Formats: sequence, structure tokens, C-alpha cells
Amino acid sequence: MDEPRIGVFVCHCGINIAAYVNVPELVEYAKGLPNVVHAERNLFTCSEEGISAIKRGIKEYNLNRVLVASCTPRTHEPLFRAACEDAGLNKYLFEFVNIRDQCSWVHMREPERATEKAKDLVRMGVAKARLLEPLEEIEVKVAPSALVIGGGVVGMEAALNLARQGFDIHLVEKEPELGGTLRSVYKLFPTNQEATKLIKLFVEQIEKHPKIKTYLSSKVKEVTGFIGNFDVNLDGKGGASKFNVGTIVVATGADKLKPVGQYGYGKMSNVITQLELEERMKKGEPLGQNVVMVNCVGARIPERTYCSRICCMTAIKNASLIKESNPEARVWILHRDLMTYGVDFEKYQRRAMEMGVRFIRYSLESPPEVVGDGKVERIKVYHELWGKDIELPCDMLVLTTPLIAGEDNQDISKMLKVSLDEFGFFLEAHLKLRPVEFAMDGIYICGSARWPTDVAEGISQAFAAASKAAGPLRLGYVKPEAINAWIDEDKCSGCGICELLCPFQAIELQPRDDRRVSHVSEVVCKGCGTCSAACPSGAIIMHHFTNEQILAQIEALFS
Amino acid sequence: MSNRENGQKSVLVIGGGIAGIQASLDLANMGFKVYLVEKLPSIGGRMAQLDKTFPTNDCAMCILAPKMIEASTHNNIELLTYCEVEKVSGEAGKFEVKVKKKSSFVDWDKCTGCGLCIEGCPVILPNEFDQGIGKRKAIYMLFPQAVPKKCVIDKREDRPCKAACMDACPVHTNVPGYIKLVAEGEFKEAYKLIRETTPLPACVGRVCYAPCQDVCNRGEIDEPLCIRDIKRVPSDQWSIEELEVPPITKTDKKVAVIGSGPAGLAAANDLALKGHSVTIFEALPEPGGMLRVGIPEYRLPKEILRQEIGYIQKLGVEVKTGIRVGKDITLEKLKKDYDAVFIAIGTHGGMKLGVEGEDIPGVMEGIGFLRAVNLGEKIDVGNRVAVIGGGNTAIDCARTAKRLGAKEVTIVYRRSRAEMPASAEEVTAAEEEDIKIEFLTIPSRFSSENKKLAKMECVRMKLGEPDASGRPRPIPIEGSEFIISVDTVITALGQTPEADFVKQSGVSLSKKGTIEIDAKTGVTSVEGVFAGGDVVTGPAFVIDAIAAGKKAARSMDQYLNGQPLEPEEEWKEPEKLSQKEIEDLKKRFPSRNRVGMRREPAKKRIQDFREVALGYSLEEALEEASRCLAGQTEGCIECHECERRCEPKAIVYTKKDESIELKVGAIIVASGLGLYDISALPEYGYGKIKNVISAMEFERLTAASGPTMGELRRPSDGKIPENIAFIQCVGSRDFRHKAYCSSVCCMHSTKEAMLAFEHHPGTRSFIFYMDMRAVGKRFQEYIARAKQEYNVTYIRSRPGRIEVNPDNDNPIIWYEETSSGEVKKFEVELVVLAQAMIPQITRELAEILEIELDEDGFVRTADRFLQPLDTTKPGIFTCGYVHSPRDIPDSVTQASGAAGRVAEEIASSRLNRDSQGGN
Repeated sequence: MDEPRIGVFVCHCGINIAAYVNVPELVEYAKGLPNVVHAERNLFTCSEEGISAIKRGIKEYNLNRVLVASCTPRTHEPLFRAACEDAGLNKYLFEFVNIRDQCSWVHMREPERATEKAKDLVRMGVAKARLLEPLEEIEVKVAPSALVIGGGVVGMEAALNLARQGFDIHLVEKEPELGGTLRSVYKLFPTNQEATKLIKLFVEQIEKHPKIKTYLSSKVKEVTGFIGNFDVNLDGKGGASKFNVGTIVVATGADKLKPVGQYGYGKMSNVITQLELEERMKKGEPLGQNVVMVNCVGARIPERTYCSRICCMTAIKNASLIKESNPEARVWILHRDLMTYGVDFEKYQRRAMEMGVRFIRYSLESPPEVVGDGKVERIKVYHELWGKDIELPCDMLVLTTPLIAGEDNQDISKMLKVSLDEFGFFLEAHLKLRPVEFAMDGIYICGSARWPTDVAEGISQAFAAASKAAGPLRLGYVKPEAINAWIDEDKCSGCGICELLCPFQAIELQPRDDRRVSHVSEVVCKGCGTCSAACPSGAIIMHHFTNEQILAQIEALFS
Repeated sequence: MSNRENGQKSVLVIGGGIAGIQASLDLANMGFKVYLVEKLPSIGGRMAQLDKTFPTNDCAMCILAPKMIEASTHNNIELLTYCEVEKVSGEAGKFEVKVKKKSSFVDWDKCTGCGLCIEGCPVILPNEFDQGIGKRKAIYMLFPQAVPKKCVIDKREDRPCKAACMDACPVHTNVPGYIKLVAEGEFKEAYKLIRETTPLPACVGRVCYAPCQDVCNRGEIDEPLCIRDIKRVPSDQWSIEELEVPPITKTDKKVAVIGSGPAGLAAANDLALKGHSVTIFEALPEPGGMLRVGIPEYRLPKEILRQEIGYIQKLGVEVKTGIRVGKDITLEKLKKDYDAVFIAIGTHGGMKLGVEGEDIPGVMEGIGFLRAVNLGEKIDVGNRVAVIGGGNTAIDCARTAKRLGAKEVTIVYRRSRAEMPASAEEVTAAEEEDIKIEFLTIPSRFSSENKKLAKMECVRMKLGEPDASGRPRPIPIEGSEFIISVDTVITALGQTPEADFVKQSGVSLSKKGTIEIDAKTGVTSVEGVFAGGDVVTGPAFVIDAIAAGKKAARSMDQYLNGQPLEPEEEWKEPEKLSQKEIEDLKKRFPSRNRVGMRREPAKKRIQDFREVALGYSLEEALEEASRCLAGQTEGCIECHECERRCEPKAIVYTKKDESIELKVGAIIVASGLGLYDISALPEYGYGKIKNVISAMEFERLTAASGPTMGELRRPSDGKIPENIAFIQCVGSRDFRHKAYCSSVCCMHSTKEAMLAFEHHPGTRSFIFYMDMRAVGKRFQEYIARAKQEYNVTYIRSRPGRIEVNPDNDNPIIWYEETSSGEVKKFEVELVVLAQAMIPQITRELAEILEIELDEDGFVRTADRFLQPLDTTKPGIFTCGYVHSPRDIPDSVTQASGAAGRVAEEIASSRLNRDSQGGN
């Protein structure tokens, strides 16, 4: 690299900076700093005028480093970098110094000291700019295909969506047929249409779509690689398969809790779960005249604190269906909070009440009790409004149980290097704003594998996950972060601390000659710097934030 | 914008909230061109209003802002904020969309979002973004982190008057602006705004001749506004001493100002603000020039002047009194020691009458008399005083003599009342004080008795042909002589400059002895020496002197910066209204006469020198200020203050709405949620009981960028509430209002209760609920934490009504204890109502899009399971709250899902029949 020739552009930001920091003085000061060959001030460096000033400066003074002292890189770094690029300068030879948010704004009442601080910040910036090096952005090709794990309606919808966009889809289902949990469901709330009919609609489309290859009775055995280029090994009834995909969608659903030992379940013959009730209803088996349902069995208790979202509606649906087929039947739902959120569920619940389904609230402190010998005869429950215990006749006791995390989640999580939450469900990248993504690039999540979800929500999630998975496939490439970590293998002791700490699973110990050294996947690395900070051997160089650069800034501060 | 043509791979997203942003980002990342239309000036939507988000308590803005910035910097996304969809035609795959871009009256290509304009705007409006709790200006940015970071003028109509006042004012004071601020009770801001053009607002507010009032168009309806009197209101209602000094970046230039009158002070003030070091040289022992020694105390209290000069000194101006330039120090020396010199010595010389006996003790010259009295000299004027002259100085002398104890004071003037140069107001005031005026009279001789002045012989005059001044020439009437007995005679015949000392340095003088300057720039015949005020024009008004001082300061700053001297742009002449405009105004504004300022009664006021004008009471001030026609305008009053401040020249008052035509293959409707008007539930007293607020108001109160900067204080008295009740399902799950469950309130109330505790640990919260619907990941655990760690108690009950405790404004909640059936009342310090939320889409927009809404106004979907994100119109999709009640993660999921549906439909050519390929 040639001798650094730094240009410094100080922004007035109207009065935001200039009213508190003496900008002309700062410019004069900057001119005297080592390797600074040009310094000027702009009323607004981000304006068209300011941007052309940068470009002009690069040409006129043959600048090979540009420093802007202004607002915040959060909003303005892309703009100034682009200006450098336009003028033929690698954009990583640009350095940003924030003299507004962290200087003029916080020192409004002490303009002289603000000016001094701005000088310190610019001096530090210049010290770093002298050591900046150009970085190159690479493009990594993305295979135009995806893997969808799970063949329920959610997985099927994700597969269909991606296939319709023209990508090759591998749909893997561990069971011998598609349909997932819905296969054991009778009807769907709140429309009361038959679940099997919906499954059929999906399966037909899957089967006839030329871009979808379905693997039944199969499990994913191994996944290696990273976004754009995952190698997948399958184990299945039909033998092993191997293929390469660009992205992965996880739609493995959830399991059902068997409430063994509760309310006589497993011991008394007339105690069943909602799903078992649905099986009976499908077959048209008699249920008896008096049906009592107890909600939150195994949910919202100290051992399993969460609410599984769909069970209240499941109970209300089944209660309504019983009343529909036998208006004489008496159905009680013993519930805690009733989770009929939104427009349609609230309406559906009201309809059930109008049909004669009785709702009685119980609390965790005084749960219903089973009365009977070998068989439930009555249910005793404390009636809050009446302020006393009442007994309900019971021919059939139906327990509403939560969905629980799938039994394969642990294995899948290890294989894909994605996390699980404290309940064993898959953990999304961000609870609020990245609900269908994993922290790991290229892998997406939808349906009850992430959190209990009803069919409509699950399908919406399938579209969402497919949309995320389609992004890289459509572009055909990914552009990893150029500011990334680099391992000096000679220095690496192979201790593995970095591998352990990397939040993006970008680091792996790999054999080198007779030892093992860290290897950073430049595609996966996000440049967070955690590894570099932790490396006891100083073997990890964090580009754009090298030790030398940071030490030069610190030295400049105290010089 | 070039690829606006290529419609099929383009998508229109309606709504710039988190759902619209997410859908846009996903589409853009898939390679689609996205037009994101938002009706407000910034994207961000409801989420931007929230303080934190459940269940992580992430700061809403901190997680939203990066998404907003990503959307604004993404190459594939074109933000169309402050826009509305007007027309949609065509069908899936080839929609044609007409979008109205509302005029922001700001050229966004030039606006840098610096916010300078906002500071100066006098119009204060409720801030909708803060749910009306906070205030914003007529020019505003939606919120500090707005994307795009651009200003908008809330201009709803044209100003009814033409603000002729500003054009008439020699310094073009922003009259509509400061009067609006006074009407708003923003006295400090009003003072600051006046001070932009007049460094002595309180003085000018007392002694200005107010040319503005003569042209005030309110006069066409009833009476002109008391503009001058309103000008002193800010300093009456608030203390000038509290005005802080703005940060000033110093230069290394030094300026000498000779004379500390209004011209000198104005120049010194402006130059100091520019960072130059200013020293004022004043010959007299006290600074202020004519304001100090020419105008009597009863018109302008010295303390007021002292305060205003004091502030100029705070700006760094050094005032050296008792130094007479030309005697104690030469102009040459100043020229050598300073980089520029401003001469503003006024006209402190008196004029002689030129009649016999003028040198008898007891005959005094008026300006000298006033100066002596103003500087505290004891002067005995005797019982009978005659004042010669008809100007304001003569009146000042007469009224001063009265206050010094004279029993009979007579003004002797050679023409008639009509020709008197003194202001009519002053003449009336003098007459009220029992001062006699002898018109058409001139003294011809003074004589003494016992070495004391005793008699003044006078001659009667008659008026002849006009003289050089245009006034009729007074002609003595022969034989009309008569005698007036006098103890003192004061001659107030005019003033002359005493500027001969400047000649030594080559500064040229006129024949009258005034300094000659270039009228546009104030520069004299000598480089670096400037002059202005009375010494240039001869005796004139205070505001003219200030104007001259400011003009010179502007030129001097240019001179000191080595720039060519460029005069200020010319102002237009005050504009009168047309007869039609006047008729319209009369229809619109009922006649309301002015509120005059109270004055001390004449009998009382002549006892001493206390100020005669007593000032307005607060009510009177607000009343009179509210008569200003400009201030009657909704929104922007077109005072142009923003325009003057905007450095990139981005303000365009004449900007019109624009129409944008787009071609897109698909549309996503993500217009979000509105808030149900809960004043429809009178039982909860919202809008009537001060300490009953809505949940969104609570969010703004706890948000760091909110109207209280995150201080949680209750509305009635600003007290920090120690206990708060949250009432759920206000308008939701209620057949009288909205039958549905709004889905997010259980969680946001829990969050808000936690935030209250975080703001003030120890705060107790009580949440009145029907069902606690916590169905998302970590929601149950969140509620458990609220109970265990945040003092939150959940009470299952739907309160029946809320009353107020009149002693302390505490709301009292009446509710039925569910378990016992007992009706109880419960007093808290603040009630927060979890208002129902409604889909934010108008029937009109639905019609434009040809999509169906359900009975609650949510967008109807094509098929619950197979097409959960498709509207009933092919090619149009929906997500977020307008689809159905849901929280942020569910909205974001749907947004990505809708983007996925668009991709699928366009790629599979279903939306793209007429084109080849598609992907």
C-alpha cells in the first residue's frame, strides 16, 4: 500500500455540530495530523454538495483514505462508502468519526470541551485510517434447491411455495405418509371443515408437482456446509440419499402430551384426550350424554409453564361438534383463562355458548376432582361465581393437553447447529422481529416446531419461511460480510475457545498437518469480533478492527 | 425511478408499519422492486410509538430503527411516504396505480433534517404521534428517528391576511410569529423570536412608533391589533434574566462600536452573535443612548433597558462608558486597534431658537434637560413651565416638567394640532395630564426679573403656503404679541449630530453634519468604517436606528470575513387586502374590538416617574394576541420563519400535491391498526377524568423520546403515580363496541405495568381483566414475572364505572369482586385503559382496491387455510393488524408470508400471464 493520503471532511450538520463544536478550528487541527493531506468542512456532508466534495477531494488530492467526521455510521456510512466507491476508492478505506451523537449533542453546554473532544475523536480516527486496508466482498453461489423437513400441511405449503417459484425441493417426512398431526384431527376450527380433506388437497398438489421430491419414512441424518451450499444425507426406508441444497426449512411440528396419571387417565376407561376424542368422533363412536372437558391439563403448571395456544379452541370445537351431532348432550368445559383471541375465535366461543356448551372457570389452586371408582362418574369443581363446590355428571372426561416439543428436536438442533428454547421448541433468531429465521443463515423455521400454532397461522408461517428461504435462491448468490475474522494458523493453538463462543457457528476446528486449528467460514462469519477478543493466542485477526488499528486509536487518544 | 416502467416484477406495499416494512424487505431481498406507500411522513407505524415490546422488553425503536434504515437504503425499495393510493386499475400481474404525493411544502431533495426550521416555528399544535399529549410545531418531523429524516409543514389553508405588518416593520419582525407564540403562552419563545430581529424587544415594545399597526389588516374588520403592546408581553410574563446565552463560535476579529444607543447596541448584538469581539465606547456614564437619556422613565423604565443591555453584555460585548471618542480617544486609534468601526453616536446636540434672552438662566435646551433628568440630576423647574416645540421631545419635556412639580405646563407650538409631529397618543397623554398647548404661537423674547427668568413674550401665527417640509408656513400676525409668565422655558426644537471628530479620519459629512454612507451597506467613505442611526439620518425612530445597526452589522460581518458587501434582499411593500378578501374576512371573523392596555390615571401618574402603561394581564394578553388574523389559520400561518432559517433553502410554500403513476404486478395491504375512540365508553370517564388515560398515551409517557422524555407523571398534577390500575377490554369483547378480542392488550398492559415499576420501583399495578390471554412464546412466564418481580396484581373483574375523588383527582374504580360478588371501590392514582384496536383501512381504499372487508372492517381473506394471506381480489395480499388482530411477531410473520405469496404467484406466472418467464 502506498503512503496514506488522508482526506478529512468535517460536517457542520447545520447547527447540530457547528453550534457546539468549533468546526473551522477542528478542520485546521485535522490538517496538522499525520498523513492528512486535505481537510475541509461542509454545511452538510451528506448533501449532494458534500458528496461531490468527497469525490472531488479524492481526485484532486489523490486521497487513498477518507475520513468523515459527522453524525452516525448507522444511518450514513453506506452513503459515504458509496461516494468513495464512485470515486474509485475501495469502500473499506473509509473511516467514520461520530462527532454529533457522541460529542456535540452530549456536550451542548460546554462547547469548548466539545471541540477538544472532537479533536480527540478525529485524531483517533486518523490514526486508524492510516492503517485501513482494502477489503473485497465475495459472492457465493447458491444452489437453486431447498430441503423441507416435515411433511405436515405447514411443510407441504412451504415446499409448494418454493417449488412454484421454480426451485427443486426435497420434502422429507419421517412417517410413511404426509399430513403430520392433522391426520389424527377430526375437524378444523373455526370453519369445521374436515382435516383429512385439507390434507388431501395438499398431498395431491405435492404429488403432481414436478419440482418436489418427497422422501417418506425418512430422516435427515447429516447436514454439512452453509447457506447456499448445504450437503444433506438422508436415511430412509428406500435407502440413503444425498443431495445439495441452498436453504433449509424446518417444519417438523410438535408432539402431543399423554397425561398419564392425571384425572385417572390410563386407569379409568372413560378418560381420554382431545385427540383421542377426535378419533372417536371420526369413527362415530358414542360418547355418552354428559361430557366434561378439563383444559390446561399439563399446561400452565409449575412444571410446564407455557400455554399451548390452540387447546382452548380445540376443546370448544369438539364441544360444539358434540352439541351439533347430539343437541341433547350436556357438555361442560372447565377452563382457566379462555384463549379465544382475535375476531373468529371469540365469535366461535360465543356460538358454542349459544349452542349450550357450559363454561366453568377453575383455578390452579382448586382444580377439578374426579369422583368415581374404576370409571369417572362425576366431576367435582369449585364454582367461582356460586362460591361453592358443585358436582357434574360425567360419562366421558376429555383432557385438553398441550403440544410439547418434538422428540427429534434435540437431534435436529445439533445437526443443523440451531438452538432450542427452554421448552424444547426451536428458538427463532429474534422473538419479535425474526420469528421464522434461525440465527444460522439459510435455515428457517415454521409451524408448531417453533411454537404451538393453529392451521391458518402455521400455513402463514410456511409462506413466511418459504419467502425467507427463497431470497438467496432467487438471487442465486449471497454476499457475506467482508469485515470478518481471519485465523493465523501458525499462531492458533487449537484450544477451541473461539468455536465455543461463536454465536453464528462460523468456526470449526479442522485438522492441519498433525494438529487441529480453527477455521472460519467466511460465508457464515458476521464479523462480530467475539472470537478475536477471546483468542488467548492472538491468532484471530478481525478485519477492519485489527489489534493494530484499535491500539493505534488508543495510543492516539492518550498521545 | 427508471425501473418504474417494468411493472410485473414490481410490488406495491400499502402501509409503512413493521408489517409493511418487513414485507418490503423480503420482496426486495427476493429481487422485486417495491414501492412502499405510507400516508404519514415517516415509516415506522404504530411500533414506532411504543416504548418497549413484550415479552423481551426490547426497546421498540432500537429494534425497529435498523429495519427502517434498511428499508430506506435498500436499492430495490422506493419509499413513498406522505403518499396515499388514489386509484387502482388493471388486474393481477398488471395493476396500474395512481398515488397522491401530498405536498410537504419542503423540498425533500434539499432538506437535510437538521431541524433548524422547527426551532423557529411559532405554531404549536398537538403532537398526534404523542397521542396529543405533547406538542409539535407546524413544521415538524414525525419523530426524531423519522425515516426519511425530512420535515413537513402542516399547512392546511392559506393565511387570511397578508402579514403587511412584517413588510411595514423596518426590521421585518416576525409579527404573526411572535403574536402566535404569545397567544400560545410561549413567552420565552416569543421573546427569542422577536429578538431575532430586534435585540431590545421590551424597550421597543414600549416606545416603538409601530408602523406595523397602521397597516394591520385586522383593522379592516374592526381595529388593528395592539402589536406594540403585545411585544412587551413576553418580558412582562417571564424574566429576561432567564434567557440563556447560545453557544457562540468565536472569531479572531475585533470591532469597535461608538455609541450605545439602539443602533450601536443592535450592531454590537449581531456582531457578537457572529463570534466577533465587540467593544462599545459610550461618552455618557450610562449605556443606552437616547433610550437611556432621551426617553423619560415613565415611558421606558431604566431597569428594563438595563436588563436588555445586560443580555447583550452576556453575549460578550464589552461596554466602556465615559469615553468620548474624538476627545478621550481618537477615531484613528480605534481604526488601528480594531478590524472595523461602527459609528452610531446619534444626535445629542440641541438647537437654538435664536431670540432675545435665550441665555437667561431658566431657559434650557430640551435634549439636555431630559438627559440631565434621566441621569438623576436634581432640577428645579419652578411652578410655571413653557416648552417650545411640537415633537415627541417637546411632549417628553412637558410631561417630565409636570412630574418635577411644575403646576402649570404649557407647550408652545407654532403650527396647529394637525401639523404636530408628536404622536397623537403622546399628545393626548399630555393633555390628560393637564398640560396646555398653545398652538400657532412662537416666543419672541425672554426677560428676567431679579436675575431670574420671569416672562416670555409670544407672537400668534397664521398658516400660509406650504414650505420646504411640505407643511404650511407659519406667518406671524402683527400686533398679536402677548406675555406668558414663566419660571422655566424648555426649547425642544430639534437635534443635531456632534460628529465633527470623524472628519480627521476622512469620513465625509453632509451639510447638516450627518455622516454620509452607502445606503445599502452602511459603509462610509473610509474602508472599514461604518455608520448608522440618527447620526446618518438625523433624528428618527428607535426601530429605524436598530434597522440601521443591523444592516451595518451584516455588512461588517461580510467585510470581516473578506467577502464582498452584499445588501439584503429588498422587502415588498405592505399589501392591502382586496375588497373581496375583506368581505370574506368579515364573514369569517366576528368583530372583536382591541383590548387596550391599562394606564395609570393622569392624577396619579404625574406624582412620580413610574411607568404609565401598566401592561396586560395574562388574560388580556392572550385575548388581544388571539385577535391576530394570521394566528387564526389552521396549522402553518405562513410567517416564513422556517424559510428564513433553512440553510439549504428547502422550504417551498407553493409546492403542490403530485401524482405518481406506478405499474405493479401485485399489491400488499399492510395498513395496520387504529385506536378505538374510547370516549364512547362514558362509564370510564376518558376525556373527563384527567388521570384516566389510554394505553397508547401511557406508552408515550414512558418512552424516552416522548413528551415527558420518559418521565412517568400523571396528567392532573405531574405526580409520579404510586399505584396504577390497568383496565382491559375497553371497547373490546363488548357488543356495544367491538365484539372481538383485540389480542394484544393483555400483554401490553402487563408490559406497561412492568415499565411503571422500572421507572419507579415500588409502583404497584393492578390489572383488571376477563381472561389473561398470554398465548405466545414466553408470555405466561412474562406474566409470572410481572406478579413476582414487578408488584403487579391481576384482578379478574370488569369494572363498571370510574369516578373521581375531587380532593386529589384520583380515579375511583367501582368493580364487582368475582369470587364474592361484592361490589367494591378502589382508589388509584392513575388509570390506564386498554383501548380496543381497529383495522386501519377506509371503505374508500377497500373500494379502490376492490377488496372486501368483514363486518368489523378487517380485510377478508380468500380462504382461511389455503389462502390465508390472499384478499378476495387476486393479486392483492394482506398482512398485519388490518388482516386480523395480532401482535408484532405474528404481523411480521404474515408480512414475510405475504411476500412469499407474491413471489410464488408472480414466479408461477399466475400473476404474469401476459409475460414470458416471469422469474
